[in-house]
Amino acid sequence: MKADVLVIGAGSAGLAAAVAAARAGARTVLVERHGFAGGMGTASLVHTFCGLYLQDGDEPVWSNPGTLAEEIGRRMEMATGLGPVRAGRVWFLPQHPVVFAGLADALLREAGVEVLFHCELIALEPGWRARVLCRGAGMDIEARAVVDASGDAVAAAAMGVGHAMTDATSLQRPAYVCGVQGVRGGIDGLGLAGRIIDGIRAGDLPGAATGMHFRASGRPGEVFATLDLAGVERGAYDPTDPRCLAALEATGREVAMAVVACLQRTAPGWEGAFISHWPARAGVRESRRWLGEAVLTGEDVMAGRRFADEVAVASWPLELRETHRGPRLRYPAGPAGIPRGALVARRHERLFVAGRCLSCDHEAQASIRVMGTCFATGDAAGRMAAGGG
Amino acid sequence: MTATCTAAEVVEMLRAEGLVDLPAGADGATDLFEAGMDSMAVMQLIVIIEERWGVRLGAEDATREVLGTPERLAARIRELS
Repeated sequence: MKADVLVIGAGSAGLAAAVAAARAGARTVLVERHGFAGGMGTASLVHTFCGLYLQDGDEPVWSNPGTLAEEIGRRMEMATGLGPVRAGRVWFLPQHPVVFAGLADALLREAGVEVLFHCELIALEPGWRARVLCRGAGMDIEARAVVDASGDAVAAAAMGVGHAMTDATSLQRPAYVCGVQGVRGGIDGLGLAGRIIDGIRAGDLPGAATGMHFRASGRPGEVFATLDLAGVERGAYDPTDPRCLAALEATGREVAMAVVACLQRTAPGWEGAFISHWPARAGVRESRRWLGEAVLTGEDVMAGRRFADEVAVASWPLELRETHRGPRLRYPAGPAGIPRGALVARRHERLFVAGRCLSCDHEAQASIRVMGTCFATGDAAGRMAAGGG
Repeated sequence: MTATCTAAEVVEMLRAEGLVDLPAGADGATDLFEAGMDSMAVMQLIVIIEERWGVRLGAEDATREVLGTPERLAARIRELS
């Protein structure tokens, strides 16, 4: 198979990259391991788009106007009927994973992207020639330019080239999100928290249940349960180790089942609640990062630094989740530019990166990893790849 | 473990634990929910209070009335001591 642009990964960054490249006229192939696009927003049931809007302000203002970040945000808002929500100094958009998967299909179809679902990249040679694997059978794809939007810098790992990964103790902790239905009435977050604590004291729940919180999905009786995990069930946390991931998935389910069973007994309105769907995978917030021609730093983001060659804007605070005890937010002085070089892999021709594995340090990644910003960096990388970069 | 918990100690504990984003001049009257306290932070808080002051806040204490400010929280801790 031949293409002008090959995009690895159809998460928020890869989806935007493929659509942007195809709209720019490039024959575009998109490779994705799941049977749907959307990544964290579908497979991991992350149900808010963060980073779409500037921080502060009495009204939500698009951070990356005119890009796929705005377009996808508007289309999601139209589909769900739910507008931006203010939480302290930030705005976010509630999104529904089921809606997102359908919206992503429509965007890809309209743009004419060739989509290869159920495929994993296993080899990549400069030039570019990629080998993907679908259920034991290989397929070769020749492409003029490549965008790695895999979230885990899969292309760097496949090529065996240098990349960065923060030490196990500082990596942002993972989140396990599942769907719950049959809940009556609104969510009393504090009341549920108190009942979880009582459940832990009674020996009905493991201590890890303190990482659990809930948000209404916007659909009748449906709630998303989100569990922040320490990720250390199998020793040091390593989101690239399948043994660690296996323990993470099983622990997420075990704790979620125990919590929902406890709340059925103790929380008003939860008598008929049940877990209705598991995520396809636990939500990994941080793993490998590319080394690009430029490296965006946490200081750049905190200072709201702007660059002459910036291709997108980061507007979400540094959301540090180095423990499973909830976020620590650090608010930048203003929106920060993401320089072009952070999306260009070092020492390779026409190899671009987007999304949470673009070239930045651990602190900057705590801001740029959110889906709203990933749409914008994906859009930029897709246009650069289509233009020959 | 006696009834000595003060609002200043609660503020100091919240700063040390980093559960909420306390403003620079935070005192006993600071609104903790304005400062970002959410349901997850509340669970951590209840666990930490038990470790520090040996006092068990229960489900009935997980309210804005009890947890809303360092002063009200300290008062509840003293009550249970």
